[in-house]
Amino acid sequence: MSENFDNKSSINNPDPNYWRSFKELYNDRDLLEKKFNEFENGVTDDFDPNTNLSGLSRRKFLALLGASAAFAGVACSDYRDKGEIVAYNIKPEEVTIGKPNYYASTCTGCNSNCGILIKTREGRPIKVDGNPEHPINQGKICAKGQANILNLYNPERIKSPLRKNYNIFSETNWQYVDDNIINVLSNATDKEIAIISNKINSPTTLKLLDEFKTVYPTSKFYFYELFNDSVRNSAWNKCYGEGTFPLIKWDEAEVILALESDFLGVDENRIENVRLFTQMRDVDAKKFNRLYVAEAGLSLTGMNADYRLKIRPENQLEFVLGLLTELNKKGVIKSSFNFNVNLFEFVKKFNLDEKRIKYLLEDLSEKKGKSIIYAGESLSEEVHIAVNLLNELLGNTNLYRKDIRKENLSGISDITEFEGLVEKIKNNKVAAIIHLNCNPVYHLPEDIGYKEAITKVEDVFTLSETMNETCQFSKYVLPINHNFESWGDYKVRTGTISLSQPVIMPIYNTRQLEAILLTWLKKSSQAYSDNIYHDYLKLNWQDNIYPKFSQSLNFDKFWYSALHNGFITFQEDVKSNFAFKNDSIKFDNVSVSNNSFTLLLKESYSLGDGRFANNGWLQELPHPVSKITWDNYAAVSLNTAKQLGVKENDLIEVSIENRKLRIPVFIQPGNADNTIVIELGYGRENSGVIATGVGFNANKLLSKKSNYSPWIYTNVKVVKAPGKYILASTQEHHNFDIPREQDLHFKRDIVVEGTVTQYLSNPNFLKDEHHKEHESVYKPFEYTEVKWGMSIDLNKCLGCGDCVVACNVENNVPVVGKDQVLKSREMQWLRIDRYYSGSPDDPKVSTQPMLCQHCDLAPCENVCPVVATTHSPDGLNQMTYNRCVGTRYCSNNCPYKVRRFNFYNFRDHFRNGYQENPVFALLNNPEVTVRSRGVMEKCTFCIQRISEARSEAIREGRKVRGSDVKTACQEACPTNAIKFGDINNPNEEFYHYRNHQLGYYSLAELNIKPNVTYIAKLRNIRTEES
Amino acid sequence: MNIDYSKEAPVVAGRLSLAEIEELVAKPLDTKPDRKYFIALSIAVSALMIGAISLGLSFYWGLGLWGNNQPIGWAFDIVNFVFWVGIGHAGTLISAILFLLRQKWRTGIARFAEAMTIFAVICAGLFPAIHTGRPWLDGYLLPYPNQHSLWVNFTSPLLWDVFAVSTYFTVSLVFWYIGLIPDFATLRDRTNSKIKKTIYSIFSLGWRHSSRHWQHYEKAYMLLAGFATPLVLSVHTIVSFDFAVSILPGWHTTIFPPYFVAGAIFSGFAMVVTVLVFVRKVFNLENIITMDHLDKMNKVILATGMMVGYAYGMEFFIAWYSGVQAEQFVFVNRAFGPYAWAYWIMVSCNVIFPQLFWFRKFRRSIPVMMVIVILVNVGMWFERFVITVTSLHRDFLPSSWGYYVPTLYDFGLLIGSFGLFFTLVILFTKTLPVVSISEVKAVAEGAQPSHHGGVVNA
Repeated sequence: MSENFDNKSSINNPDPNYWRSFKELYNDRDLLEKKFNEFENGVTDDFDPNTNLSGLSRRKFLALLGASAAFAGVACSDYRDKGEIVAYNIKPEEVTIGKPNYYASTCTGCNSNCGILIKTREGRPIKVDGNPEHPINQGKICAKGQANILNLYNPERIKSPLRKNYNIFSETNWQYVDDNIINVLSNATDKEIAIISNKINSPTTLKLLDEFKTVYPTSKFYFYELFNDSVRNSAWNKCYGEGTFPLIKWDEAEVILALESDFLGVDENRIENVRLFTQMRDVDAKKFNRLYVAEAGLSLTGMNADYRLKIRPENQLEFVLGLLTELNKKGVIKSSFNFNVNLFEFVKKFNLDEKRIKYLLEDLSEKKGKSIIYAGESLSEEVHIAVNLLNELLGNTNLYRKDIRKENLSGISDITEFEGLVEKIKNNKVAAIIHLNCNPVYHLPEDIGYKEAITKVEDVFTLSETMNETCQFSKYVLPINHNFESWGDYKVRTGTISLSQPVIMPIYNTRQLEAILLTWLKKSSQAYSDNIYHDYLKLNWQDNIYPKFSQSLNFDKFWYSALHNGFITFQEDVKSNFAFKNDSIKFDNVSVSNNSFTLLLKESYSLGDGRFANNGWLQELPHPVSKITWDNYAAVSLNTAKQLGVKENDLIEVSIENRKLRIPVFIQPGNADNTIVIELGYGRENSGVIATGVGFNANKLLSKKSNYSPWIYTNVKVVKAPGKYILASTQEHHNFDIPREQDLHFKRDIVVEGTVTQYLSNPNFLKDEHHKEHESVYKPFEYTEVKWGMSIDLNKCLGCGDCVVACNVENNVPVVGKDQVLKSREMQWLRIDRYYSGSPDDPKVSTQPMLCQHCDLAPCENVCPVVATTHSPDGLNQMTYNRCVGTRYCSNNCPYKVRRFNFYNFRDHFRNGYQENPVFALLNNPEVTVRSRGVMEKCTFCIQRISEARSEAIREGRKVRGSDVKTACQEACPTNAIKFGDINNPNEEFYHYRNHQLGYYSLAELNIKPNVTYIAKLRNIRTEES
Repeated sequence: MNIDYSKEAPVVAGRLSLAEIEELVAKPLDTKPDRKYFIALSIAVSALMIGAISLGLSFYWGLGLWGNNQPIGWAFDIVNFVFWVGIGHAGTLISAILFLLRQKWRTGIARFAEAMTIFAVICAGLFPAIHTGRPWLDGYLLPYPNQHSLWVNFTSPLLWDVFAVSTYFTVSLVFWYIGLIPDFATLRDRTNSKIKKTIYSIFSLGWRHSSRHWQHYEKAYMLLAGFATPLVLSVHTIVSFDFAVSILPGWHTTIFPPYFVAGAIFSGFAMVVTVLVFVRKVFNLENIITMDHLDKMNKVILATGMMVGYAYGMEFFIAWYSGVQAEQFVFVNRAFGPYAWAYWIMVSCNVIFPQLFWFRKFRRSIPVMMVIVILVNVGMWFERFVITVTSLHRDFLPSSWGYYVPTLYDFGLLIGSFGLFFTLVILFTKTLPVVSISEVKAVAEGAQPSHHGGVVNA
């Protein structure tokens, strides 16, 4: 080293030779050494904790300082443990990133228990579709079932067991509550343990309950349903002595008379009903049924009627007996009964259309044995008996299904049993009440006094997914698993049992309802394990169900194939021949003339009995008839409104005896005068930020004793109340008074309709009068390969809105809230337009699903200044969200007004950012962009599905086919009204619909060449009228 | 009355000498602002602040704060835009077209009208920029080369708007500035303040009133006038394309370009009269901006008002004549539908009240004139409202009809735009000569050479 110091020529002798000191000038050795070593001694030494800290080198010090700052920074950051996460460095079996898995399961949203397929991505459920193989719903699922996925991710689910202390709920643990409850139950040796539940359709759960009763012998079970077919079934029992009302072969009925029945709208069996019903509205098979509807409030079924009669519920009996008498007189039926009802006097008395009655009589006579008269669940027993008699006499019992019947496993308890329970509570004979996922405080008529009674019971345990009215009165609230986190089996029909399986681990600290009961049954909180009910269910199937199959399959294979399919079917003999007992026929008070008001309480189309009230998608789904969202209301006719001196949105007070309710008025064209129709399921309290305070709790009007039926009350008083309440509708109220606004949907060729007679005599009748193609100066773009198109058969579309919710789920459409609906800013990409024509007393209704028409000459495209909306070579009108600056010009120029603008970040704006809750990130479809504020959006024809099909085709080395893609709305449509495919391929099924004789384009005159073909609706009115 | 039609009426009244003219015009610039000035300014700035707050909140929360909805995608935002662009039409018309037509009376009002044009276009230009859902991406509307290889859509009228308005603004500003150069020189020569002198010197670009300067100046002014003239017609034509190019009934109308231009001149003149009436009073400019000036402008208002009225009638006729159901409906609906009130405000303000200007007495009465021109301003704002909102609120599908109710934020932005306009106007009156000194001098009595060798009409 020392040689270097002497080497003048190297670094230390620059030229010219500047020097700072003599030492430097004379190349002092010390100085040279210092210069050679860049750092002072000790600066670069390693850190030795044993020595004095001051010996720490500068570098070391800085390194330590940096490291400690980094550690401090990390430790103090708000990084939160995100809980259990799935790491894909070791890929779970079954899961392929980017590929959805589908699991068969069963929907428990209502008592239909439809088979479902749950689509999961990377282990999280994102969409629900019907199970195509399921015998009942055959691949279709209603709006509630679709939106059920939102309930799974509901951030307001109860996250661990709750204990009430001085009216405040605090979280506790399972062991604590289990121990306490088991203790309470074990000590209830002389007092009753009341267990309240909705109807139970699960054979295994019922078996479990039986065992529960053996362990806790004082247990008593109470089953209720707010809406049920008990009246219909008891009438059936009176007529035939046994059994329940059969299922109807709607697909064979040529004439249907529905009496106050919304069998296409809210009936339990709706999905199957509409499928079978629309098989008889088939323009290709040329099969057409004729639907007569006699009802008081305009329902979805009434909307689709060929002939509609306005009859108040209390007059239905006279009407049916009048028909019977008249048919008897004509000799169509031979009946020994003579009710002395003159149908034509009845017609005159209630100002009905005599012509329609004549048509009805003729149709019923001509189609004897091929017609069905169907009374709604809410009508009185007498009407049902009369209807059963008439069907029997007309030979319409042919249309009763003989092979399969409904099952009613748990049945429902009579209202008197609940009265008895209240009585027992009062007499201090009840030790504990257990609510199994039900809400009797909200549902049971107030005059039973249940709400007051349970405050007297200390030990009220409620098993529930979310907080509700009943939870408020409970000592412990136990959170249970969602449908999609649960095991289960369901039997609603003979010969079929559906299975449900969990598709996700419980998101919160919840347990399956049955598992909780099993723990209690085993009398030890330690008995619980994650698969306790799974094992129980499997064992039950092995013991009781598997033996029904005389197969060579071993049980495991049987079990897994049943799980895979989601259901099993087997041969089950049912009694099908019942003899009509004439002695049941006795009617009092046939002729009722009633000048006071009649109240009809109906099930909500979207919320059911209120179970789905905390679901934003369903609250925002417009009512199929009135298009009102986020509220229920009192629907009255125009005349009644005038008579009451009220306008729309005015409040009225409805009172029955001492039960009162203030509710806003909605003037519903087509309603019978002096009737008030109110939907239940609203006005929830303490039930989450979505449900609470939405609408009005009309359950208050229910009574244990009704003068007509549990859902219909006569002699109701109605007066105008002070104040207003604004209802939010997605469509402007139709104005019947202004002629220039009438029938615009026909005048402008938005909706094109014809009659069956026209069609049968000339299938091309629409095309004949159609204008010829406009010529263009430009050479049109040639679509050489696949070009996407849609067709919507308006004969099959009933206007239910299931497709709307399916679209919401698939495309991450946000909920905007009532305030924004009032401002016409709803975001649904697909909507069902409803048009009236005719008079407000007797409107004709047309419905039309409206979505982006993907026009070839799209007016939106050429006005966008930034090219954010463009046309693809496969005929799609596309939105580039990233490029959109939000001028809204495209929306202004869209004649269909199907574009939707994000005026806010609606996820943030709605209910203080409710939808920004992190758990909702799991809900979103990962294939679809979540749109930001200020961006335009619209229907994409489910481009993500097209892309998926295309990559699949590429993988298989072929070209994509039209039939590879099904849009979400198409999948959901319970009547298969929506078809999707390749316009250019003549060999595909879709080609037929695209070029259908009855096909037309909405607003064809604009020559913008839409790619959605509507198939004109044919009304099956009588030949003499068309 | 005995009027001698053989001689031109003097443009400048009161036989002002050239020095007096200079003194009169420069006075506001030489004196300190008084209390009234500050009161006026504070009112204008308050309005501007209201707009700024509304705008800030709109940026923060989103356009949801406005009343716009589905189907009414455009409302106050675009109404205000078209309104202000219209206001901006008088200035260039007065300075360019009237210059080319050798209308000497224009000299008294040209400077002020041009200034109003520039301020109005500033107000107008604001609205398209803020009306977008994501204003931070407005740059996408400019055709700049970028790494995405993305280009703008040249078929969209909104893009034409961007070019038309920015061109109009640039040309108007240059035209205005060129006209100001001799005046800057005059002011430079007058002032004793060092700061002012520096500023005026910079802006006067070394002007020394030499003949050569004047020669160049006159050429340049003429050329720019020729350049600005087509713009007067083109800007509002293109603004009208925003509507006319669409397929919406009530917008899709070939009459729109001339109708919009006439309406723009109509509203622009009304606004100029509104402001000038105050300016001539406050700054004692009655001799320079004479009653004759106002009279002539009122005649223009009458003429263009009738053109607008004709367009209203013609729209109805064409709607009926076309046989297009949707279009017929839109026009009947305008007059008798939910927005009938707006329609009848428009018709009465724009067509009925201006008819009073047939009478010389009303044309020359300040109070009557004030009422009418303010009504015209209101009426023309409503015309844009009627076109934009009533066409949108009930278009093809009755299922998606809606109703628009403006919110406080809509009004806040409207007030804010007026605040911006008047703030700029008020600042302008104290910083720049509100009347072109050099041009007025040129048309003052005695400024023109005459074979009498002296004063005309002496």
